[in-house]
Amino acid sequence: MRKYILLGLTLITSLSFAQDKEIVLKGKELFGDMTARQIGPALMSGRIIDLEQHPTNDKVIYVGSAGGGVWKSTNGGAAFQPIFDDHVQSIGKVKLDPKDPDNIIWVGTGEIWTRNSVSIGDGLYKSIDGGINWNKVGFENSERISSIEIHPENTNVMYVGVLGALWSDSEERGVFKSEDGGKTWEKVLYIDQTTGCSDVVMDPKDPNTLYASMWEFRRSGWSFNSGGEKSALYKSTDGGKTWNKIHNGFPSGKLGRIAFAVAPSDNQILYSVVESEVKEKSGLYKSTDAGKTWEFKNGDFGLVVRPFYFSRITIDPKDPDVVVKAGLFGSISRDGGATFKGMGNMHADIHDILFDIKNSDRMYVGTDGGLYRTWDGGVTMEIVANLPLSQFYQISVDNEEPYNIYGGLQDNGSWYGPSRSPGGIEARDWNVVGFGDGFRVLRHPSKKILYSEMQGAENVWRYDMERMSTKTIQPLQVKGYDDLRFNWNAPMAVSESQPDRFYMGSQYLHKSEDMGNTWEIISPDLTTNDKSKQQQENSGGISRDNSGAENHCTIFTIVESPLNQNVIWVGTDDGNIQVTKDGGKTWSNTTANIPAEVPDNTWVYHIEASVHGEGTAYAVLEGHTTGDFNTYAYKTTDYGATWTSIVSDDIYGFARSIQEDYVNEDLLFLGTEFGLYITINGGKNWSQFTNNMPPVAVHFIELQKKTNDLVMGTHGRGVIILDDISPLRSLNQEVLAKNVHFFESTPAVMEEASPFGGTATEREFVGPNSNNNVKITYYLKKKHIFGKMLMEIQDLNGNKLIELVPGKSKGINVVTWNGLIRQPKMAKGKSIARGGFTSPRVPAGTYNVVMTKGKETYKSQVTYINDPKSLLTDAERTANHEATVKLYDMSQELAYMVYQIDEILNKAEEAKKSGTSKNVDVVIKDLNDLKKTLVTTTGDNYVDTEEAKLRGNIADLYSKIASGFQAPTASELENLKLLEERFTDAKQKLNLIIQKRVPKLERYMEGKGVPELNYKSYDEFIQE
Amino acid sequence: MKKLTILAIALLFTVGNISAQDVTVDDIIDGYLENTGGKDNWRALKGTKMTAKVNQGGLEIPVEIVVMADGRTYTKISIQGNEIYQGVFDGENLWSTNFQSMKPEKSDQETTDNFKLNLNDFPDSFLDYKDKGYTVELMGTETIDGTETYKVKLVKEPIKVNGEEKEDVTFYYFDTESFVPIAQDTEIKQGPQAGVIQRITQSDYDEVEGLYFPFSISQGIKDGPSAPIKMETIEVNPEVDESVFKYPGE
Repeated sequence: MRKYILLGLTLITSLSFAQDKEIVLKGKELFGDMTARQIGPALMSGRIIDLEQHPTNDKVIYVGSAGGGVWKSTNGGAAFQPIFDDHVQSIGKVKLDPKDPDNIIWVGTGEIWTRNSVSIGDGLYKSIDGGINWNKVGFENSERISSIEIHPENTNVMYVGVLGALWSDSEERGVFKSEDGGKTWEKVLYIDQTTGCSDVVMDPKDPNTLYASMWEFRRSGWSFNSGGEKSALYKSTDGGKTWNKIHNGFPSGKLGRIAFAVAPSDNQILYSVVESEVKEKSGLYKSTDAGKTWEFKNGDFGLVVRPFYFSRITIDPKDPDVVVKAGLFGSISRDGGATFKGMGNMHADIHDILFDIKNSDRMYVGTDGGLYRTWDGGVTMEIVANLPLSQFYQISVDNEEPYNIYGGLQDNGSWYGPSRSPGGIEARDWNVVGFGDGFRVLRHPSKKILYSEMQGAENVWRYDMERMSTKTIQPLQVKGYDDLRFNWNAPMAVSESQPDRFYMGSQYLHKSEDMGNTWEIISPDLTTNDKSKQQQENSGGISRDNSGAENHCTIFTIVESPLNQNVIWVGTDDGNIQVTKDGGKTWSNTTANIPAEVPDNTWVYHIEASVHGEGTAYAVLEGHTTGDFNTYAYKTTDYGATWTSIVSDDIYGFARSIQEDYVNEDLLFLGTEFGLYITINGGKNWSQFTNNMPPVAVHFIELQKKTNDLVMGTHGRGVIILDDISPLRSLNQEVLAKNVHFFESTPAVMEEASPFGGTATEREFVGPNSNNNVKITYYLKKKHIFGKMLMEIQDLNGNKLIELVPGKSKGINVVTWNGLIRQPKMAKGKSIARGGFTSPRVPAGTYNVVMTKGKETYKSQVTYINDPKSLLTDAERTANHEATVKLYDMSQELAYMVYQIDEILNKAEEAKKSGTSKNVDVVIKDLNDLKKTLVTTTGDNYVDTEEAKLRGNIADLYSKIASGFQAPTASELENLKLLEERFTDAKQKLNLIIQKRVPKLERYMEGKGVPELNYKSYDEFIQE
Repeated sequence: MKKLTILAIALLFTVGNISAQDVTVDDIIDGYLENTGGKDNWRALKGTKMTAKVNQGGLEIPVEIVVMADGRTYTKISIQGNEIYQGVFDGENLWSTNFQSMKPEKSDQETTDNFKLNLNDFPDSFLDYKDKGYTVELMGTETIDGTETYKVKLVKEPIKVNGEEKEDVTFYYFDTESFVPIAQDTEIKQGPQAGVIQRITQSDYDEVEGLYFPFSISQGIKDGPSAPIKMETIEVNPEVDESVFKYPGE
């Protein structure tokens, strides 16, 4: 009965689809089990914002990262796992409930160390099951949450400090209080739209006493301001109802960011690092009367450097005199703040420090380059080698096999590494090719040369990858032109048609035809050249901060058309999209043709010139540095005369980069602040890709042309690769309407690769390799739940070779086959013949795939080809295959012989129970003597072993030959000959016993009423 | 008859677009147990014997899994004709064959104690879950393997992990049309993978003497690799050699 109803159900479901309505599948419905792989790297890790430890269990530690989510360790920091991968990855604060710290975790999103390249958050999240599930509980417009404090006795009472918007006015700032565990919130301290809360701290002994540091700040694309009249430190003693400034002893005048901490062991002792407009008054202040008065203690560089980036003070929970201040290198005082010394050697830019609850010599430190730990109070530091939080600004790929990925990292230089490596992609696989902050790294199209750079094109290197020699080649100012203005993340480009050509952009477009030795300026100033946005020496507010990071009115993206080298596109950070059709002689500014929804001067982040038409290009603009988080992506097919929006409401967050498919013009990939989006219909609908792909900021995307791998440079989770996107090319309405559709399978290579693996230690991050086995890819209209669904590989004559387990997801399924068939059936011995675990490889060629689902059968084919890099001849491969088959068959025949021996022995022993017989004893002796030469009959599988017998000898040679590709060596062939002789001899001996002795046994058995011998046939035995 | 009603309800959901909020967690659990054979039939089940060939990239290993209603269980693996027992429980001892010495060895006491907590889970944790003191919660809907599911949280007796007590939580994903579970998630609680979510998926449900079992099961890491097992046979109320369960070391 049930089946009929199910059928009815299916019928009704399909009827509702049967109308002419377009099938639009979203997200997981479409992508099925296509899964991204995260390859790191982790050796340079990335920026850490906040650290938190369980209040009673020192094995549990949380890391809140700048762009890579929240990670949890349950083993004292030995290993971390990401626990926030479905949500925004930029973290401001992690806090555990003081009464239920095992289960209740709060995460305030949006990083709070507000450098130019920060990501954004989107609210406050709560987990009630230790981080497995999360719910957003508000503060959607907070952008950055700096603090969460919870009443230790009544955990319904909570305070949240919202730093708020960095690039715009915002009212969702200040101190908020909840008295119902976060369901409703009241704003209890608010200054104005420009002033946020950089810290709320609850007194450790009196939960009604709170301190709040308020900070006036603002960033734009070209400037930063820290400080003003409204920055101040406040105290409340009535649970946030009233607040008073506590500045007695602080400098007067404008203040900037104020770092603040209360000693956990003595609530009268407070420390504060104050940013003052009077330079010599900036420094550490201490109060010993809970904020009534302050005393200036120390103005060391390490304490006052870059307050917007370093404003965390941590105090030893057991000793109020031990104080650590975040900073360029981190400073530690053991005399109550009078003097400081630097912390041990580690990556620069220290953002948070955590003392272990039980042992203050054990500390954790979060830096721009990952998490460090120390066992000796901060003297000796060791990096945690398994946090792949690297923050790429840009990436590119080459055409090697395997291809390499090149890219530059925030504060971590420039690198390249392979897309696959024996044993996985690990630290040793990555090569450093630049200092400072790294941005774009481009490979010369035909030579083993790459270009890399550091911030603001201070250095641009041409690096010879074979000789490891470098030459700095950045364009320099020449007569008749203004000073060059390079962006912090300065653009460069290579040409597909002229391999030695190299472009760079300042406000001008620079072209070199000799790999950067000589430069020619081929444009006028292509920016708006707005002088008001070029005052970087005044940037920083009350503390000057002219790092070059705010350089503006610069070119940001350059691309030469792959179809016509004279068509060059340039996009600028101040909103211009310029194009030349004559190699730079004349330029046309197409900005006015961008639809009006884009505000003037919106940053042109990326232009992609299409392979589908000379005049076709895509432009991605983003206005986040003005507080505009809308998504802007446009397409032109007429050199920018018209630009058409290709985004839909499906997309959440602003976009930075786009990648077109080289085959299907309607297939596009968009990198946004919150992950990867894909359209299969030219932008009418977009789907977020979430299979092992967190909503991390995707700064750049490349499509590798040989493998069709989509390679993403993320700002917080390293390189993420979506292997082989080619199935998405043929998704159309016709395919989506089918119950089952097989995509054409690309022939796979039987790789002759190293079997030896890598060298990573147990706790080092290793990125997974792509699965290079042959892929069987198909689309299922509906998830398969009931009834059998099977898949097998057959040879072209329809003989079954092996069964595979098919994927059953709605959407795209990917099944792989490694080209191996079942291992030989081995003779039963006392111990195991390890060589028998080797599965033989099929020869390269085409094989049938047969999938059955219910009563339907679906067929496809896959092909393996030999490794093109191999030096082997066809004859050598044939010799390998023939020897393999011979030894495989010998193993199985031997298994059958031993089976026969055991069957006869069993019967003989049974017959013996009815009385002794010389004939029976002879059979038993002869068979046991023979068996002892064939298989082990004593010992175990480790060192209490018996010497290998014929079975083990055959298996060893079989495994040696079958697991390699080479023809058997002369020595192996000699050994094979010997084994064949022994095998033939054994066979003859057994036949002799069966012919001469067993009939006598059978006659004896008959007399005793023992059932007759009845062997399985060879085929039955092998197949069982 | 009840089967019919539940399926008719399921039908209504699809056709009438009744939102997930209208379904209670007990509707889902009852629907699942009824649709797969009925609670009484599940209660009457005395044991199951499953055979499978586990295939790991060409290496094929025959496996036999027996689970009895009283908690006795074994997994038998055949390697080169040798039968190796894993995860055997005789009512008191949990033991396995050591692969090197081929001799039986007991599991550590904590593992055995945790195992005993699951004796009441035959044939299904959800059957009479209230009597077992379990709690369930409908957490909403989620797309699993491209299809809409109800996510149900099941909390069983707390277990011990390296001496520390931990909640025993599993998240089940029930197909919204048929109410059968198609996946379940649990957090790995120890070792270097601690904190990673283990995912088991089930499909190819088929009938064996009136009860529906998944004939295809895959175990792995959420968003990561998994190892599939295809059941060849499932036998209900099997006859088994009683002596196999007994820990032979004593």
